[in-house]
Amino acid sequence: MSIIEPIDDELAEERRLTDLLETSGERELNDELFLRILGHVPGYAEAIHDAMYQSHVLGDVDHRLKEIIRIQLARTAGDPYFAGLRSGRATAEGLTEERIDAGSADFEHSPEFSQAEKWALRYAYLMYRRPEELDRSFYDEGKLHYTEAQIMELGGLIALHYGMQVFMRTLQVGSFSRSA
Amino acid sequence: MIDEGIDNYRESAAFTESEKVALEYSELMQFAPERIDAAFYERLRMHYTDAEIIELGAFIGFNVGYHTFFRTLDFYPMYSPDGRLVSQNESRRIYGRKPVSHLQGALARAQDGAGGEDSAAEEG
Repeated sequence: MSIIEPIDDELAEERRLTDLLETSGERELNDELFLRILGHVPGYAEAIHDAMYQSHVLGDVDHRLKEIIRIQLARTAGDPYFAGLRSGRATAEGLTEERIDAGSADFEHSPEFSQAEKWALRYAYLMYRRPEELDRSFYDEGKLHYTEAQIMELGGLIALHYGMQVFMRTLQVGSFSRSA
Repeated sequence: MIDEGIDNYRESAAFTESEKVALEYSELMQFAPERIDAAFYERLRMHYTDAEIIELGAFIGFNVGYHTFFRTLDFYPMYSPDGRLVSQNESRRIYGRKPVSHLQGALARAQDGAGGEDSAAEEG
């Protein structure tokens, strides 16, 4: 149970969030609960939902890799809510729980991942543990694998999702373990 | 006032109790989120509505995420002291190896000739 009560259907309708709630599951992003909590500030619900959709679902970087990163970050943030959600699209495209777990474990030595994927996983892993290691040489290595647009796509994904995960952790929403 | 709000808000007379708990919310979100529990939210509710708490919490979360990311990008002012739009490599040569913030008077310092110890020495 969330410390902040999610808005109910009546309030969602009053705030014109009904359509957003109905489409949230279809957009491979998050379930209704997060939006109903953010729905206390309707402008935030719309803007943050869109930013999370843009960063996680759209763009040029493989959605399955971004899903592994999103879950790695949720585990780093200690947020069981987002850590328990799964992208239906990523699952349909073949992403397994074993591969997700490998992305949160010793991915550097895992044969599961390419050098490019390892760099992206390292990017997420270090961002909120040892950001001082993400220096010019680290980014130069990233540019061997990704365009600057792709690096910004990854960085924006990491920053936005981690920020929301830390916030959700504090609301003690708990785990739902279901597809988003 | 900004420095006071970061370094000394607990003891400062410059902030109200509602401002202090909001500042504590921000501090804990970044450094000790495990300490933001139901009791802490009850303290917030003494000063803020649920909508205002969500507004603060999402704003803080967003900033916790993005400030760390942007810090790693090592970026420099977009404009030279004479107002030209310059590349990041040129800006780095102008302003020196250590990034400086516009808010900290980067342009003024550069115009005073204090761009950094290795200004114009780094190719980036």
